[in-house]
Amino acid sequence: MQINRRQVLGGATALAGAATLGQPVFAQSNPLQVGFIYVGPVGDFGWSTMHDLGRKRLEEVMGPAVKTTVVESVAANDMERVATQLGRQGHRLIFTTSFSFFQPTMRVAPTLPNVFFESATGTQTAANVSLYNARFYEGRYVQGVIAARKSKSKTIGYIAAFPVPEVIHAINTVMRGAWSVDPAMKIRVIWVNAWFNPGREADAARALIDQGCDVICQHTDSPAPLQLANERGVFGFGQASDMTRFAPKAHLTSSVNSWGDYYVERAKAVIAGSWTPGDVWGGLNSGLFKLAPFTNMTPEEASEAQRIADAISTGRLHPFDGPIVRADGSTVVPAGGRLTDDQIRAQNYFYRGIEVALPS
Amino acid sequence: MTMFEAILLTIITASTPLLIAAIGQLVVERSGVLNLGMEGMMIMGAACGFAAAIVSGNSYIGVLAAIAAGMGMALIFAALTLGLAANQVASGLALSIFGLGLSGVIGAPFVGARRDTMARLDLPVLSDLPVIGKALFGQDPFVYASFALVIGVWWFPGRTKPGLILRACGESHASAHALGYPVLKIRLLAILFGGACAGLAGAYLSLVYTPFWSPGMTAGRGWIALAIVVFASWLPWRAMAGAYLFGGITILQLHAQGAGVKIPSQAMAALPYLVTIIALVIIMSRRGGQQSAPASLGVPFVPDR
Repeated sequence: MQINRRQVLGGATALAGAATLGQPVFAQSNPLQVGFIYVGPVGDFGWSTMHDLGRKRLEEVMGPAVKTTVVESVAANDMERVATQLGRQGHRLIFTTSFSFFQPTMRVAPTLPNVFFESATGTQTAANVSLYNARFYEGRYVQGVIAARKSKSKTIGYIAAFPVPEVIHAINTVMRGAWSVDPAMKIRVIWVNAWFNPGREADAARALIDQGCDVICQHTDSPAPLQLANERGVFGFGQASDMTRFAPKAHLTSSVNSWGDYYVERAKAVIAGSWTPGDVWGGLNSGLFKLAPFTNMTPEEASEAQRIADAISTGRLHPFDGPIVRADGSTVVPAGGRLTDDQIRAQNYFYRGIEVALPS
Repeated sequence: MTMFEAILLTIITASTPLLIAAIGQLVVERSGVLNLGMEGMMIMGAACGFAAAIVSGNSYIGVLAAIAAGMGMALIFAALTLGLAANQVASGLALSIFGLGLSGVIGAPFVGARRDTMARLDLPVLSDLPVIGKALFGQDPFVYASFALVIGVWWFPGRTKPGLILRACGESHASAHALGYPVLKIRLLAILFGGACAGLAGAYLSLVYTPFWSPGMTAGRGWIALAIVVFASWLPWRAMAGAYLFGGITILQLHAQGAGVKIPSQAMAALPYLVTIIALVIIMSRRGGQQSAPASLGVPFVPDR
């Protein structure tokens, strides 16, 4: 027993020594340590996978100039501890890659003034906190157009994670796109209260398909709903990564996130000493995300979808142009107006015509 | 297929992994052992089953590998609790945490791989029955396995001699020992059976339900199976009722949401737990089920003490 304890203590001392060695004693000559905190597993095929691909891109481009650390499947209430630990280990740049991490990031940032934080989505910046996000709604509009063309039952099924503005404005925009083709389009929504829970996502897809939805949109990260659409012979869209291989007969397009170039840019800024807090919200023309090649569509359908995507990308079409009318009938923006970015980011209501319960 | 049939089919699909796992756990607890490692054994089954199916190209080999993985995990638990008479609660919890971690390592090379779901197996004649035919007899082989398990576990402990010996070990291991029965050997077999069932339930998740591998994909189903056993007061038919009730409410609340029912989705998501607990507690209190826990449940047995 005593020997055991001594061994354990010895091990702990060695570990502590290793941790001390890891401190940036000569920060100038050491590689920049970059931390990545993910909300899901690296292997979710979706949101977290794509952030990790971005991290790999960063390592590839920067080579020995950076050293990255990954902490996956972190719960929001554990985020501060993880970030503090990364900060103490000498990480100077930390990417907190979820909206759920935004509040904890704002709390932990003042305690680590020498660390630069980058929060993927959020509502405000701070002295050492930047925001970055992509205008995924642009892809949602295209999804709506495609769905209206593909649906025979004229009903879209939408698997939603949480009732946050990001999800709500995506649902609104899908319908905006669908109505531009056929004003009779309807939508059914199921909230699964999780970003990643393959079983429940699949159950939701089953329920929506049983209720007659024949195009499935998902705002959750696993390929389960799309795979199920394939099995049941309806259509679906991939989330965050190109999910064609999961549903060769059902996949229409995916919104494919690409964070690598942004990560390279921000790491270079830290090394050069030119990092300043920013608020990046890039659209289809920014390279932060793109649409995967259209599949299971006729050439006419594909070229129409591409035309819409190009129009949004070049600014000729804007998904938040007025008139915008709430479900309760009040007008938010009249014809000729357009929602501001802040209004889009705060959207907490459905448009008129979307008859869906909004969890409070 | 009508809407009703479709919902019934989905409910049975959603309930089957819970039912298989609960039946396995029921036998383990009947022998007097509390194995809280359900979640760990289940997810190891999911990971190994999927890995073996991808490598071999055959889903049935995957199923066998999953059963073997569940039994392997169960063997670790048996070595600790039977061999070393370690605390069963602590060992079981450790097994769950260990399984969640190890499955991530085993599954890592298979992240992103995909397989088609296993084919349904229509039973002739029976699957043509109106209303229930397709839902009960047009299913995948796992569903039939779950039916067979329920019947087997109803028949075995109550109506066979080895079954009664198993129960004797769970009610009073000292008496069973005094009568000359090998208590530890019987408990070992029960634990292995539980591991096999957990592995099978895991294989169902990664080969049929959502046919891919992702870490943590059991999402707490092992714990729900444990709870079902307790609330079913250790009876297989009630466990079946509990599993289907839980699965049923889970699916129905999704349908209610899709149909636009104006109830907060968070409250709906809590419904399956609430309804299952209430229903099983009512059954338990009506039938005097409070005394039904095996008397030696969770107590380590050391033959010479």
